[in-house]
Amino acid sequence: MKVDLGPITRIEGHLNVHTTVEGGVVTDARCMGEMFRGFEIFLQGRNPLDAQQITQRICGVCPYAHAIASSYAQEQAYQQAVPPNGRILHNLIQGANHLYDYLLHFYQLAALDFVDITAILKYQGKDPELTKVKNWVKAELASGKPFPAAPFLPRLSGNYIANTELNIGAIKHYLDALEIERKANQASAIFGGKFPHATAIFPTGCTQKPRIDLITTYVSLIQEVRQFIHDTYIPDVAAVAAGFPNYWEIGASKGGFLSYGLLPLSPKPGGERLFAPGVLLDGSVQKVDFERITQDINNARYSSPTGLKVRDATLTPAPHKADAYSWIKAPRYGGKMVEVGPAARVMIDYLQGHNPKVKSLVETFAAKAKIKPRQLNSVLGRHLSRAICAAVIADFLLEEAERLDPAGPTMADLKIPASGEGFGATEASRGALLHYIRIENHKIARYECVVPTTWNASPRDDQGTPGAMESALIGTKVANPEDQMESVRIVHSFDPCLACAVH
Amino acid sequence: MIDRRQFLKLAASLSAAFGVANLPEPVAAALKKIDPASVPKLVYLQGLSCTGCSVSLLQAKSPSAATMITDYSQLAFHADLSAISGKKALDLIKKFLSGEAGPYFFAVEGAVPATMPEACVIGDHPFSWYLDQAGASAAGVVTVGTCASHGGIPAAEGNPTGAISARDYYTHKGFAKPLIAIPGCPPHPDWVWQTVVHLVKIGLPELVDGAPKLFFGRKIHDGCPRYHDFQQEIFAKKLGDPGCLFKLGCLGPDTAADCPSRWWNGGQTWCIDTNAPCIGCASPIFARKKNFPFYRLTEHQKVRG
Repeated sequence: MKVDLGPITRIEGHLNVHTTVEGGVVTDARCMGEMFRGFEIFLQGRNPLDAQQITQRICGVCPYAHAIASSYAQEQAYQQAVPPNGRILHNLIQGANHLYDYLLHFYQLAALDFVDITAILKYQGKDPELTKVKNWVKAELASGKPFPAAPFLPRLSGNYIANTELNIGAIKHYLDALEIERKANQASAIFGGKFPHATAIFPTGCTQKPRIDLITTYVSLIQEVRQFIHDTYIPDVAAVAAGFPNYWEIGASKGGFLSYGLLPLSPKPGGERLFAPGVLLDGSVQKVDFERITQDINNARYSSPTGLKVRDATLTPAPHKADAYSWIKAPRYGGKMVEVGPAARVMIDYLQGHNPKVKSLVETFAAKAKIKPRQLNSVLGRHLSRAICAAVIADFLLEEAERLDPAGPTMADLKIPASGEGFGATEASRGALLHYIRIENHKIARYECVVPTTWNASPRDDQGTPGAMESALIGTKVANPEDQMESVRIVHSFDPCLACAVH
Repeated sequence: MIDRRQFLKLAASLSAAFGVANLPEPVAAALKKIDPASVPKLVYLQGLSCTGCSVSLLQAKSPSAATMITDYSQLAFHADLSAISGKKALDLIKKFLSGEAGPYFFAVEGAVPATMPEACVIGDHPFSWYLDQAGASAAGVVTVGTCASHGGIPAAEGNPTGAISARDYYTHKGFAKPLIAIPGCPPHPDWVWQTVVHLVKIGLPELVDGAPKLFFGRKIHDGCPRYHDFQQEIFAKKLGDPGCLFKLGCLGPDTAADCPSRWWNGGQTWCIDTNAPCIGCASPIFARKKNFPFYRLTEHQKVRG
């Protein structure tokens, strides 16, 4: 039978997945991006310095990542040196947003796949917040109105956590996490101006000064977030893993992995990053080469040429194109399908033995869960990888904030050249993000973004190879083909962002 | 602009939809205790959007977003928070949009691809189909953010989808129900949530150019803490400088919003305080023209105008 999983909720944007289920197994899956705006078209002819503002509006969940990627690309195109403060401030803004994004994903977007919200009715304690939730759910269910306790009910049928205490704890953490996410974003906005859509980020740095009062508040907020990551988030991820151990085997993608590396340790172009870049193909990690990235469009709604390299990319929408089933292109690395995201980020750093904290966390958790590091390629592996990233980034930010020089410059005096080009690569929380800018006559002549969910939710490429998420879904056993809780958990583990994927 | 007569009429129709008795009597109503059984239901849909407005709504501090969607309203559907997905989610949305699930208010984030309906699809219909249905059944519409209120970035010059604001979409169709614009890219969470509070406790807020006067009654420049620098001609010469940011292209003089007094992200910060020129994100002309860039780096570069 054929079942559409969409509209898929608790993600960013407009995603449908068209599935075929035979004998209780997903035999085919097609990811369909269903919203298109055309950023690369309307960026042409604009002032280059508009780009880090315009491209943030690709995605309001991870705008910081686009601002950073665009800034890196412009830095290369302008050929301007970055002062140490500038790079540190970029890191402080981006890193704090990563922390918020991991918590948002686990608690608000993914948790309701596992947590039984109705368990709150059995709550006997005296916590005022939980009592309020209990009374609210009770009143809603007794009200006789249509769809009581929305948006938390109705839900898909499936096996939720049975342990009442665990459920109630998770409901409390759902609410607590909102407050902690708010604080992580407040920290980033101290230097970014506001969140979402930071106005103070520019190529080479940031307009805010590293005043001692601001640094102190930033550090205090991040300490609070870090505490929550260790005391609450990591234990909750472990509890979900303990309750659903079969999800270490479910949802593996069937290709390679790609990470551009995250958070540069110095202003030097191409210098070391907190998480090391690399592409993992056939069991070995290789250096990333942007020239090997191409984008197939036979199954996407465009009539522009297929298989172009990033710097040659063009975009002509063809909404009625026969057989195309998505607005998402199919990026490939050396012709190969790869997964991007937290699991790629962690595995690629781990396999290179790069960051000792990553190594230690991967090995500690793998031993506890009795898994091999390669099983990070799974539903639970993606959740665990986010938690590992959160722990590593929080520690780094506290050290990084102390490296600011309150007397030093925070950005260069920008000079936009008549012509130039640049690549800017970073890791959004959802994975590898690449921006390319070409400037002619002081204006943007070409702009191209290859975004995490473009990789993960890509349709079939021109050879017919499924994208990462499609490949993770195909072969999945589902208890109820109509509701497919298993498939929804797989999709959520990728944390898809459709506004990013298509843009 | 609506006149006072129309305003009272709208306020009355709105209050009927929310089950608020004896309106317009703002003072008495403001003291009214909220009845959890009759708080307005919100159906929230996204078009050509980035979800930034929704993410901003989660940054609310007092009251928190969770309080807003349980005590002051009921969030019947929101794609980012709803547990249900797939066909059952579509059924829920359609129950409301057909009027079967009772009165509700429609919140819309994002622009409408007017010449390319395939550019935004939810389930089995283009986004505009949902706008039409909601237009017929909702008690009123709140356009959340600049894309929904003015077109914003998806409607930038050269865009291929013919994007227009949801507000224009409704206005062109002669929409006669309350239509409240909350611009901002993104809007401050207070602008949206406190408008909901106003609707619940008092009724329709006073509007200027379709947006609540309480938040959008004054230009940013007029309330800017750096107005003194402007008067004394202490101008920032390059990005990162203190002083009035006007000569770097600051659009505070053209943008109506209360950022200078409200501040952002828990009252911690706002653009001007970080020396970042206002880019006019709440303005009707935000990001629309290629030859009107956000910044003016130096006078001689003449990148603007």
